[in-house]
Amino acid sequence: MTSIIYELTGVHVRFGSRVAMDIDSLIIRAGCLHVLIGPNGSGKSTLLSVLAFLVRPDRGCLTFCGSPVDWSGKQLTLLRKQVTLLHQDSYLFSSTVMTNVAFGLRMRGIDQKEARRHVEHFLALVGMAGFEERDATALSGGEARRVALARALACRPKVLLLDEPLAHVDQESAEIIEKLIATQCRAGTTIVMASHDEQIEERLPTRLIRLNAGRIDSVT
Amino acid sequence: MGFIAESLRKAVLLIVSGSSDVVSAVSTSLVVSGSSIVLASLVGIPAGIGIGTGEFPLKRVLLTLLNTLMAMPTVVVGLLVYAVISRQGVLGSWNLLFTPTGMILGLTLLALPIVANYSLSAVKGADPRIVPTALTLGATRFQSLLQLTREIRFGILAAIIAGFGRVISEVGAAMMLGGNIRGYTRTMTTAIALQTEQGEFAYGLALGIILMGVALAVNALLTYVQEKRRA
Repeated sequence: MTSIIYELTGVHVRFGSRVAMDIDSLIIRAGCLHVLIGPNGSGKSTLLSVLAFLVRPDRGCLTFCGSPVDWSGKQLTLLRKQVTLLHQDSYLFSSTVMTNVAFGLRMRGIDQKEARRHVEHFLALVGMAGFEERDATALSGGEARRVALARALACRPKVLLLDEPLAHVDQESAEIIEKLIATQCRAGTTIVMASHDEQIEERLPTRLIRLNAGRIDSVT
Repeated sequence: MGFIAESLRKAVLLIVSGSSDVVSAVSTSLVVSGSSIVLASLVGIPAGIGIGTGEFPLKRVLLTLLNTLMAMPTVVVGLLVYAVISRQGVLGSWNLLFTPTGMILGLTLLALPIVANYSLSAVKGADPRIVPTALTLGATRFQSLLQLTREIRFGILAAIIAGFGRVISEVGAAMMLGGNIRGYTRTMTTAIALQTEQGEFAYGLALGIILMGVALAVNALLTYVQEKRRA
């Protein structure tokens, strides 16, 4: 039996008058790949933002590793160092690829030499070795997505949240990203991924969470 | 036409000869304007970023106030600061009136809304993903705002240029707060106003040429920094 990493109870998120998410109960298990499936506007991205501690629910309880999240600034900084969200349309800072991938490492106080070693390792993992000194803003869409993934992985998060990582990328990038997701999952990283691809469960062992209009339809 | 040509010739001679009055006016202008823009930037940039990224009850009121202050006539600012630093004012005992420090205080207040507003505009025009991206990579709120500042550095530089443009070309407040004292609080602009009034058109023109040159040099330097960082 795998341990529980997140537990959501009665979590409700509202943006203005629109209810973006209304979840009675949801459990995210450690070391598993969870795939959020649902149409546009079903609450996938909102759920990922809540799990990334970027959006505070209007009401409800969220626990992480058994402890309730109190949303205080001090606790959030500690929690966010364990969880990394890769946005659907990832933003790369206007600097070199090296600076981008090293960003999370710098925030964790890792020295420059050690950070460089990590950056080279993770860039090689995503098939971007040798891109260290390239301008991050001049990369193609697929390359940028891979650099953003390397940047997220370099933080060695306990939980990796991916918002449609395979959307709008070329075949080569999609294969590399999917392979990395499988590797990370085998290594024990908890992954929660939003996707429109229902066939993913045929390729990867997943827990499918179906969302509709901000509510959970089913978990299989 | 001959009058202007003759004045131009005299102006060039004044510049080349390194007249002590000209040198003093130029240095006072640079010190006073430079100090005010540094102070205005230290307060205005964080204020603009804070207002732009924060959500708080009086945000709208503050935005309206900032916009109003942008359009505030310089003599009114001069008058208000005068009231504060004159003998009867709250800071009267500090003897700031007719000193470069008094001028710096007034010019800082003039540049502040400009720097803050331009910084605010830069934040509004920034990519909304910058702060969440930094946060999700483990940055604190403060570190994420520092990263945002790095990303909008060209907008911030524009804020500083605009603020500097305002204070270096200022006459009203500088005249009221500095008193236009020769060799002490006389700046290029107050000297131009005074000399032209006294019929010393060549002297005024010489300072005008230097003022344009200083503005051009500062802008060229900042543009060079922008381009170099962009490359």
